[in-house]
Amino acid sequence: MRYVSKALLANGLALAVGPFCFLAAAQAQDYIDVEAERAAQAVNPSSSSAVQPAQSYPVTSYGIGSAPAAPAIQGESPPSPVGGGSGNAGQLLMKVQQLQQEVMRLNGMVEEQAHELRTLKAQSLERYIDLDRRLGLLAGGSGGLSPETAVEPADSAPTDEAAAPRSSPAAATSDAQPGEAQAYQAAYALVRNQQFNQAVTAFQQFLQDYPSGRFTPNAHYWLGELYLVASPTDAEAARQSFMLLLDMYPDDSKVPDALFKLGRIHYTKGNRERAREFLDRVISEYGSTNSAAVKLAQDFISENY
Amino acid sequence: MKHLTAVILGAVIALAAMSARAQLVIEITQGMDNPTPIAVVPFAWQGTGAPPEDAAQVIDADLARSGQFDPVDRGDMLARPSTQEQVFYRDWRAINSDYVLIGRVSVTGQVQMRIEYELFDVNRQARVLHGYEEGHVNEARMLSHRVADEVYETLTGIPGAFATRLLYVSVTRNPAGKDYYRLTLADADGARPIVLLESREPIMAPTWSPDGKHIAYVSFETSRPAIYRQELATGAREQLTNFRGLNGAPAWSPDGSTMAMVLSKDGNPDIYLMDLRSKQLTQVTRHYAIDTEPAWMPDGRSLMFTSDRGGRPQIYRYDLRSGATDRVTFEGSYNARARIAQDGRNMVMVHQSGGRFHIALQDLVSNRLQVLTSTELDESPSIAPNGSMVLYGTKSGDRGILAAVSVDGGVKFRLPVREGDVREPAWSPYLSR
Repeated sequence: MRYVSKALLANGLALAVGPFCFLAAAQAQDYIDVEAERAAQAVNPSSSSAVQPAQSYPVTSYGIGSAPAAPAIQGESPPSPVGGGSGNAGQLLMKVQQLQQEVMRLNGMVEEQAHELRTLKAQSLERYIDLDRRLGLLAGGSGGLSPETAVEPADSAPTDEAAAPRSSPAAATSDAQPGEAQAYQAAYALVRNQQFNQAVTAFQQFLQDYPSGRFTPNAHYWLGELYLVASPTDAEAARQSFMLLLDMYPDDSKVPDALFKLGRIHYTKGNRERAREFLDRVISEYGSTNSAAVKLAQDFISENY
Repeated sequence: MKHLTAVILGAVIALAAMSARAQLVIEITQGMDNPTPIAVVPFAWQGTGAPPEDAAQVIDADLARSGQFDPVDRGDMLARPSTQEQVFYRDWRAINSDYVLIGRVSVTGQVQMRIEYELFDVNRQARVLHGYEEGHVNEARMLSHRVADEVYETLTGIPGAFATRLLYVSVTRNPAGKDYYRLTLADADGARPIVLLESREPIMAPTWSPDGKHIAYVSFETSRPAIYRQELATGAREQLTNFRGLNGAPAWSPDGSTMAMVLSKDGNPDIYLMDLRSKQLTQVTRHYAIDTEPAWMPDGRSLMFTSDRGGRPQIYRYDLRSGATDRVTFEGSYNARARIAQDGRNMVMVHQSGGRFHIALQDLVSNRLQVLTSTELDESPSIAPNGSMVLYGTKSGDRGILAAVSVDGGVKFRLPVREGDVREPAWSPYLSR
């Protein structure tokens, strides 16, 4: 008899947490097998219906949120825990259970908020570093860039519809080819020194020499960034570089950033709808990641839409 | 030529025998975009009568099931070499096969079977692997799986997990009375099922010892749940627990000395450790919430478990040395029944999103979560010893079936069963020879 009540307790808890019944209550329900088959049947239909309310987490109204659970428990646990059980003992048990649920929910909130805080801290650090880098880029001067070199990639680079060969990313080896890392670092050093126009040339040369290297996606990304800060700026070439990255390396870690940049480019060009598509993609496809682009896209939307 | 007919005839017989025997039938539902074409040439049979097993067929099916290979149809093969001298690369280039596997099978003294095999790279025109497997003729399929493991590792760099086995529970509904529960052991491809335990009372939570020689499970045969340990070779059984209330979710520690389990003898379900030699119990969690489904990290230093101490079931990690408990999952309103890959990095679990239960994978380093399955009501994930595939239970129609998905979500196959419901698969560790 005593362990029937334990089973009820376990089932009552499982009921209160809704979906947990999927495993825990299924187990609990099985283990009471013979003795409490009837009780399990009584619990089962109501526990499956409890899946629905449990999905909306009553964060804002947690004081009221516990109310629906109470009648369920009353219904489930007849005053049995101490045998014949007086109403007082039953009420006490109910109160304890309510308190436990309350503490559990609060515990969950604390855990989630602590996690949120950690994530936000990490994100704000990332954003700071990113911002610092951008500011550094903006503060940098402009070198003398011949117009031909700025236009050249725009002509040679395939447009987004031209569907750059899909097989090439697969063929791209994960190992850097000899000399590739040095060439990339040399080009990247120009970015850091804010010699943007020289950097454009260097990355264009890099892409010619290493069309499917380990750093190729990065090179496309940097070219996109550089076209926006080189003088004269070339938004169309930048757009094509970012699109190239998207088409050829859809899984690359720079993709969310490229999507955000594409959104901004289209916005600057006055195409608000197209811009919004890219910004929404950042949020919908990378919302669950730590990518700084998600926050940037959200901020951009809230400021401009 | 006579030789060849014998091989083909043997293949037909072996196939027929296999399909009659097999309880699980594999259907590939989704493969990789660019699987590598490979020709597994029927192995030459150097013996009398019919060969005990069509080894090439077994290997062919293994490679196909991985989703990473696209075996060439036997009918498309322009030649059927069985020695290196007979391999002409142009034959294989003509049918766009990147690799060719050939082999020879012989049996000595009625029982000792030997499979010799050679793997050729058609593009490089070179032999890239050769070797042999030897064993009892009754283990013909296992020997073939080992060849597949070697080929897989040579071509992908990841050890194969074809020569492993599965445990699962099947339930035959009996409208007139009590259901039938069966605990079944089968090869990783579902072939050669052996019923280890049959009961009118539920059987649950089968699991493997780290050396693959013992199993443990929960059986209600005494009308209340108890954990049993069973030696596979002898069938010897030992009842480990008989506590009041819940006795469930056994999980062997990586060193094999300890078993984590869930007991509710003191009221609420909590996690305990049992020293398997002394049978001494240590309580690990002490919480009025439900703590259940322990899973060991491969280093044996911490345990993952499911708890609703935060109001909803989520995965927590318990550090056995410091005693600290940390919540691990934050995405979604429900995460339960964690299983950890051997690398200690990938964790698979049941994850609820949009009211549906899916199998999801969380990278424990980056904490990124990826939902792997698109079926509903997915449960009981179990990860292959090489970490490449996840086996899980799901529903097809109103029946429970087993399905598998690769850890990148790219490859999917199902193992539908002929009759009854199948659930709670447990993938074995690597098995010693």
